Amino acid sequence: MNKIIIANDEITLKQIDKTLKVEADKKCEFLNVKLIKIDVLESTNLIIEHSNIKETKFEININIEDDIDFKLFELKQEGNYKIYYNYSIGKNSEVNVLKIHNTNGIKEQTKVNLNGINSKITHTLKTISTTEEKYDFLVYHNAKNTYSNIVNNGVNIKDGCLNLKLSSFAPKGTIDCNLNQNSRIINLTNNKCEINPNLFIDENEVIANHSALIGTFSEEEMFYLMSRGINKSKAESLMIKGFLLNESGIYQKELEKIINKYWR
Amino acid sequence: MDKLEIKDLTVSIDGKTILDGLNLEIKSGEIHAIMGPNGTGKSTLSQVIMGHPAYKIEKGEILFNGENINKLSVDKRAHAGIFLGMQMPMEIEGVSNADFLRTALRSKQGNDFKLFDFIKELDNQIDDLKMNKDMVHRSINLGFSGGERKKNEILQMHILKPKIIMLDEIDSGLDVDSLKLIGESVTKYYKENKPALLLVTHYQRLLDYIVPDFVHVLYKGKVAVSGDVSLVKEIEENGYEKLLKNYANKLEENKSNE
Repeated sequence: MNKIIIANDEITLKQIDKTLKVEADKKCEFLNVKLIKIDVLESTNLIIEHSNIKETKFEININIEDDIDFKLFELKQEGNYKIYYNYSIGKNSEVNVLKIHNTNGIKEQTKVNLNGINSKITHTLKTISTTEEKYDFLVYHNAKNTYSNIVNNGVNIKDGCLNLKLSSFAPKGTIDCNLNQNSRIINLTNNKCEINPNLFIDENEVIANHSALIGTFSEEEMFYLMSRGINKSKAESLMIKGFLLNESGIYQKELEKIINKYWR
Repeated sequence: MDKLEIKDLTVSIDGKTILDGLNLEIKSGEIHAIMGPNGTGKSTLSQVIMGHPAYKIEKGEILFNGENINKLSVDKRAHAGIFLGMQMPMEIEGVSNADFLRTALRSKQGNDFKLFDFIKELDNQIDDLKMNKDMVHRSINLGFSGGERKKNEILQMHILKPKIIMLDEIDSGLDVDSLKLIGESVTKYYKENKPALLLVTHYQRLLDYIVPDFVHVLYKGKVAVSGDVSLVKEIEENGYEKLLKNYANKLEENKSNE
């Protein structure tokens, strides 16, 4: 599978085939920003694995041509991240993004432009937040019959402070669009977490759904598991595994390892 | 021989008294049925015995084999052998039935837990309860019909092998065939293990399959009337009103004698 490794502030391209055109460059020496430009030319999958990022900021531009099925898997660990993503998606193309995060801090902005008719994105983030994490999603439905589903599952522990801002836009004329935002934060601390869901819709013929939930596990759920002899800590671990591992795809084992680090 | 004693139990939720000086004793090998009009505290009783944190014990004791368990955590009550088959079992997305049951049994058995034995037992019980094999990989109760949920509770009972079993309206939402199946399954467990059985129900139909030794009618948070299985027939024929009117008259009499 196509793979990009970003470790110790350096970018390494591995096994990149003809389905992708990837350029990595310094964008701004002064501000210490590195640029990765990815052109998706044919249907394909890509893994980006990040670790030990300290000071470098990254801008990742992903351009998906027409009629393409593209899957992106990202794993971020051990580092302090500042990343800007910019997706441009062409007509009849479908993008699935799965991100697993367990870092020492993240500030991330993701901008999605659904430019072509019938273009789709499903963006899933699963994070165990132990420090400050801020995510800002901007999804622009620029064409008719486009679909977006932004799913965020976060567990907030230790010094975690998870902040999600989601804004989806459907301007006049973008009929039959489908905008979805689903965010849930399990906050196991007294720290403040936030979800700010926004739907900016200027067209009548669209479907829009959003859910935003911050809290711990319900008393009834805990009671049910504990009534079968499972202690509080194991019940919590079981539910966190269920919450995060569900549909974690190729990262199931990796995520299980991360979960076991905190909930043995 | 295991014994559960409820002594003068008064319980409230959000400042409202639900159980009011309730007394009850259940021993291994006995089948008790708790009946009564809606809102008299039947489900509360089973939840309090299991240790639901929403309820506050104002007064009285719950004793299991002579030991006060008022402050024992829910999981430790389960380890002691107390089981509650719930009226509305929770849906828990992402946690599979297999993981749940394995964790529960491993918690109970510790080092004695054997994965192969667990899988074999689970497989057999699923067959006996005529459940769909793929349910073990599905999230707990997620998308289950009413009947499947109740069967899942009985499956858990068979796997965990409790000594004191409370089944809270296990007959609600069941069709005739499922009711028969569950009735027979509970009876089989009872014959093999001789637990103490407490059935909370509204209807006679479950008691046609699991015949109780004692029937108690709850009213205003107390056991108002106790009797044998003939009491069920009386309730079916006359309803609660007449029965409880006699009880209320008796109470009035006692008060005026005092």
